[in-house]
Amino acid sequence: MKHLLDHTIRSAADGLDAGAFSSVELTKAYLQQIRGLDMALHAYLDVFEGTALDFAHASDERRASGASRGVLDGVPIAVKDNILISGHRATAGSKILETYEATYDATVTKKLKDAGAVFLGKTNMDEFAMGSSTEHSAFGPTKNPHDHARVPGGSSGGSAVAVAADMCVAALGSDTGGSIRQPAAFCGIVGFKPSYGRVSREGLMAMASSLDQIGPMTKTVEDAALLFGAIHGVDPHDQTTVDGGPVETTLPARLEGVKVGVPRQAWRGDGMTPGVRAQTENALAVMKALGATLVEIDLPYTDDALAVYYVLMPCEVSANLARFDGMRYGRREPAETLIKTYEKSRGLGLGEEARRRIMLGTYALSQGYYDAYYRQARKVRTLIRRAYRKAFEDVDLIATPTTPSIAFALGEKLSDPLALYLEDVFTVGANVAGLPAISVPCGLDDGLPVGFQLVGPSMADAAVLDAAHAFEQAMT
Amino acid sequence: MALNREDVERLAALSRLSLSEEESKRMEQTLDPILDYVGRLSKIDTTGVPETEATPVPPERLRADEPMSVDPAFRRAALSNFPDRQGDLLRVPGVFEHPKG
Repeated sequence: MKHLLDHTIRSAADGLDAGAFSSVELTKAYLQQIRGLDMALHAYLDVFEGTALDFAHASDERRASGASRGVLDGVPIAVKDNILISGHRATAGSKILETYEATYDATVTKKLKDAGAVFLGKTNMDEFAMGSSTEHSAFGPTKNPHDHARVPGGSSGGSAVAVAADMCVAALGSDTGGSIRQPAAFCGIVGFKPSYGRVSREGLMAMASSLDQIGPMTKTVEDAALLFGAIHGVDPHDQTTVDGGPVETTLPARLEGVKVGVPRQAWRGDGMTPGVRAQTENALAVMKALGATLVEIDLPYTDDALAVYYVLMPCEVSANLARFDGMRYGRREPAETLIKTYEKSRGLGLGEEARRRIMLGTYALSQGYYDAYYRQARKVRTLIRRAYRKAFEDVDLIATPTTPSIAFALGEKLSDPLALYLEDVFTVGANVAGLPAISVPCGLDDGLPVGFQLVGPSMADAAVLDAAHAFEQAMT
Repeated sequence: MALNREDVERLAALSRLSLSEEESKRMEQTLDPILDYVGRLSKIDTTGVPETEATPVPPERLRADEPMSVDPAFRRAALSNFPDRQGDLLRVPGVFEHPKG
């Protein structure tokens, strides 16, 4: 029999349905694992010892009376701390929200509650999701379970580690420029960013509203499909949600007839370490062996997507974080005047990286610079979207590494923000163009996980999951 | 692009952020390379390219802007998040720095 901590959503649901174990037993096993490991890894900001067991009891009663709500009922999951769960603290990794308690459920929270999921707690993250290492959390960094001296990636580092170290069955993250996929790659798990608009952002603390998307972080692609199936859908509270229809994954074993684009611009030159190149080129060979056709393609503006991202994102950040001013909620630092109260509350409440991005955005939006930065970045975004649309006329999916390197050492890139930003080079394109993208583990380099990324056309979320599933099965 | 200390302080003021001496120095050092990097966008020809090709949300898809009641638990939670309060009212610093009389 499988150890309780080895379960996927699917196998846990099967075990619960068969009566092999209860949700309470399963939940207790994960809480125990968290107690044992979290001192060292710091994946969680809050653990819901009491309410998790209440949820688990309720789930067991439902199942006993034949009223199970389906595959997620009784399954213990973790939630990134920028997603609201009513009555629980939501800090988004920031001092300014250290004592903030969510007043309502995010739409994804509501959907998971309706599906019967058990919330184990809230996971650590870079402050307001700004970072690629989880070192920018005001509450201390999360460690990579494969090597505690290395970062887990970010910003959804806590969720990635919780999944990778068996401290939950699955987790939710959010992805603005790679924040689900990059930590998934660094920790050796599956991370899926859905098409923009497929998952409601209501109750997700906004970082960059035109780019943010909530998505699953799981042990298997099938689990990612199951979790995505539970959280997607149109929401009257988020006008950017679109009806993408039901998630019709077939989870095939072969990839005959699937054309995979291999963009020259991403694969050429020295854009990745030799170890990452070896593993991801092998991943391409696996795709081919599964029957997929590999096509070298031209994807212009690949590098420019990063520059577009680092203009548009800070602009939206500067607007979205204006609400954290110490007035209606969060930390207030009294000073002589109103304006000094704002400055002090934000100066002491927000970390340096958050302040850096607010200032960058303020600069790019200020008079005299707006056209050169913000407007120009928006126009280049249109060119990038067109380039992807054109590429997808010829291919079904686009394949790249998820990251240029494996997990780096804690502290290595802290003093050089630009070096950290360059980490996002392969992932930001999908956000800038609003496309579905997944990172799946494709091997080890120097004992550390490497991620393989597949990107699909807008709303082709199922095709991305299907191809990733076939790939994952071939790798195991 | 070269940002000097004065620019950094002006940006901090516009952003309503206080910075320590050390932090101002680090901002000056770190903002510049980032602006240099994103400056590459200016070399791309965007003549005639629109900022967006997305269709705007039709008005009928917008939710009606109507007051609605909230449950007492929500109200209590919102009130308890106030940094400073007087009864059920949010207390904030005076807007005018030198109020008359």
